[in-house]
Amino acid sequence: MNIIIQNILVFSTLGLALAFLVRKFFWKPKKASAKSCGGDDGCGCH
Amino acid sequence: MPKQINVALIGNPNTGKTSVFNALTGLNQKVGNYPGITVEKKEGVCKLPRGVKAHIIDLPGTYSLNASSLDENVVIELLLNKKDKDFPDVAVVVSDVENLKRNLLLYTQIKDLKIPTILAINMSDRMKYKGIQLDIPFLEKELHTKIALISTRKNKGIDQLKELIINFKELSTEPCVNASEVDSNYFDGLRKAFPNQLLYKLWLVISQDVNFGKTDRNEVDVINSFKTKSKADLKRLQQKETIKRYQFINNTLKIGQTIDLKSAKDLRIKLDRILTHKVWGYLIFFVILLTIFQAIYDWSSVPMDFIDSVFASLSELTKNSLPQGAFTDLIAEGIIPGLGGIVIFIPQIAFLFLFIAVLEESGYMSRVVFLMDRIMRRFGLSGKSIVPLISGTACAIPAIMATRNIESWKERLITILVTPFTTCSARLPVYLIIISLVIPEGRFIGLSYQALTLMLLYLIGFGAAIFSAWLLNKILKINSKTFFVVEMPNYKLPLFKNVALTVIEKTKSFVFGAGKIILAISIVLWFLASYGPGDEFNNAEDIVTTEYASQNLSDVELQQKIASHKLEHSFIGIAGHAIEPTIRPLGYDWKIGIALVSSFAAREVFVGTLATIYSVGSDEEETIKNRMAGEVNPITGGPLFNFASGISLLLFYAFAMQCMSTLAIVKRETNSWKWPILQLTIMTAFAYVVALIAFQVLK
Repeated sequence: MNIIIQNILVFSTLGLALAFLVRKFFWKPKKASAKSCGGDDGCGCH
Repeated sequence: MPKQINVALIGNPNTGKTSVFNALTGLNQKVGNYPGITVEKKEGVCKLPRGVKAHIIDLPGTYSLNASSLDENVVIELLLNKKDKDFPDVAVVVSDVENLKRNLLLYTQIKDLKIPTILAINMSDRMKYKGIQLDIPFLEKELHTKIALISTRKNKGIDQLKELIINFKELSTEPCVNASEVDSNYFDGLRKAFPNQLLYKLWLVISQDVNFGKTDRNEVDVINSFKTKSKADLKRLQQKETIKRYQFINNTLKIGQTIDLKSAKDLRIKLDRILTHKVWGYLIFFVILLTIFQAIYDWSSVPMDFIDSVFASLSELTKNSLPQGAFTDLIAEGIIPGLGGIVIFIPQIAFLFLFIAVLEESGYMSRVVFLMDRIMRRFGLSGKSIVPLISGTACAIPAIMATRNIESWKERLITILVTPFTTCSARLPVYLIIISLVIPEGRFIGLSYQALTLMLLYLIGFGAAIFSAWLLNKILKINSKTFFVVEMPNYKLPLFKNVALTVIEKTKSFVFGAGKIILAISIVLWFLASYGPGDEFNNAEDIVTTEYASQNLSDVELQQKIASHKLEHSFIGIAGHAIEPTIRPLGYDWKIGIALVSSFAAREVFVGTLATIYSVGSDEEETIKNRMAGEVNPITGGPLFNFASGISLLLFYAFAMQCMSTLAIVKRETNSWKWPILQLTIMTAFAYVVALIAFQVLK
């Protein structure tokens, strides 16, 4: 019983860790007013 | 009286605005970003008398409301947008008592927006040293405001400022200067076309090159349709306006301020002569750097050893106290060693930021920028590039964002591309652990070899950055003009509160920013190292027991053999062995290979990864450093981390682009994948070649 619970906890923790990493590095929320500053696009910063 | 007053702290750079913010808010502050852009947003809460609270925003430093950078855009947009939830009920313009004339330009512009404005004259404690006297009642009358004469250093005048904030409704909103006099016909036309709008707001919208993102788009477009003058004519009007404002300021200060130069005791010029001298200046800077690196080592060794042993004991305690099983192993062998790999570096990171904060607070950093401009120009960069390069010692991400105040696109692009070479704080844990393993503890003229190696690595990083800049300057064919202006603030004793808050904030962001990633990666790595496919992993006990049946091994030795066999045939072991042929010529084994791959997420993950991999299957209480020192190279039989492989690793980390987040920022700042991909390819290939040569020569 103890082994089953421990295994469930391990796989749950692993799932949470993977979900966190995917969210951190591969999933970005869309920002409504995001602007680029990479070129001469009149943003006034170069 | 609203229960919460919105207060905007506005001022020129170096007026002590952040000190005022710290004095008002204490620890009730948070740092974030303005939505959609990466300009830092500092806000906090200040408790005022009679149960009223003030929501304080520390706006980016700006010299005027004529915006030329993204930081200044933030200020102007907030002041023009009454619908913004942060729109101030009252603006506090923080000015420096020694630079009142220049500071008042911004003040008079804000007054024209009819926002209740308080003038906070800071650094009043320096008045007697500079022979300055102010006629406050006269200035209040002429400037149509209330003045708080404050000194954040001596903690004077803050209560008076709070009183003025709470009584902001009594402040006059009458402008100081009638800007429309610079071209009455034009402004009359403007007034008639938009009778319900504030005239100065109309003028700012028309005359600025600001990309209004938050202000009502329709409103801006309608106003802009009134651009009946050419861009050059508008600029000329803007210059006339500035001259008119300065005429007013000069006339006001002629009576309101007296400066007795005879009674001024000014050490600044004498100090500048030495600290920015073309020989002594560099020598002093070099000695300061040496002292910093020596102190980082000497002062942090005791707390580091303590933290290391605490985590080793904690891991052991967890194993002995919790019921046996996979989850207990995950905590004891995965999570605790992984976290230990980051917490152990808190003392050194804190000391590094302590020194940087002291240098910045004292005013010395601006002298360094000035000194470095002489060098930078020879490599196709300006002194402005030194700010990102120095900021890069903390983290390349804010440093790359700091390039936004470089006007020349070519210089900005080069600075963005070379900044990741400077030694960021994420490299520090890797350097420190490897140096402690492969560099002896002896001393040379009182300086430890280890501290000297660390300093050398910082210089190598900086050298690589400016050499690459020189190369890129020759290769990139982009035409652009540039200029360099730096303000030299006065020398002052650093305020303990400011330094402490900087150290706490930077250390917290290092630990919690990287800590979450390291914790998650430690969990994944532990899983990959503790589970594996096939019979070799699942029947490891039988295979190893049969193989060593004739050798009469003790129980402990047999358990170690089984753990080692399992690790080699785990998921991580299989992946590690697959990449081993590529990294073997550099002197690394498959475990280091895994650490190299996982640290692409963030460099500091390297130590945590090795700590996790080496902990899996081990029952002994052992520190991270001892575990790494005990690793044996299966081919040579000697220590895996020896001088050759250690130097090779140090050089690999000095040059490799091991940071996903930096690549993402470079992509955003250059608006193209071309530059981050080139950066990743060239830096990694260069790091590989240098590490290969180092190992092959030194082995």
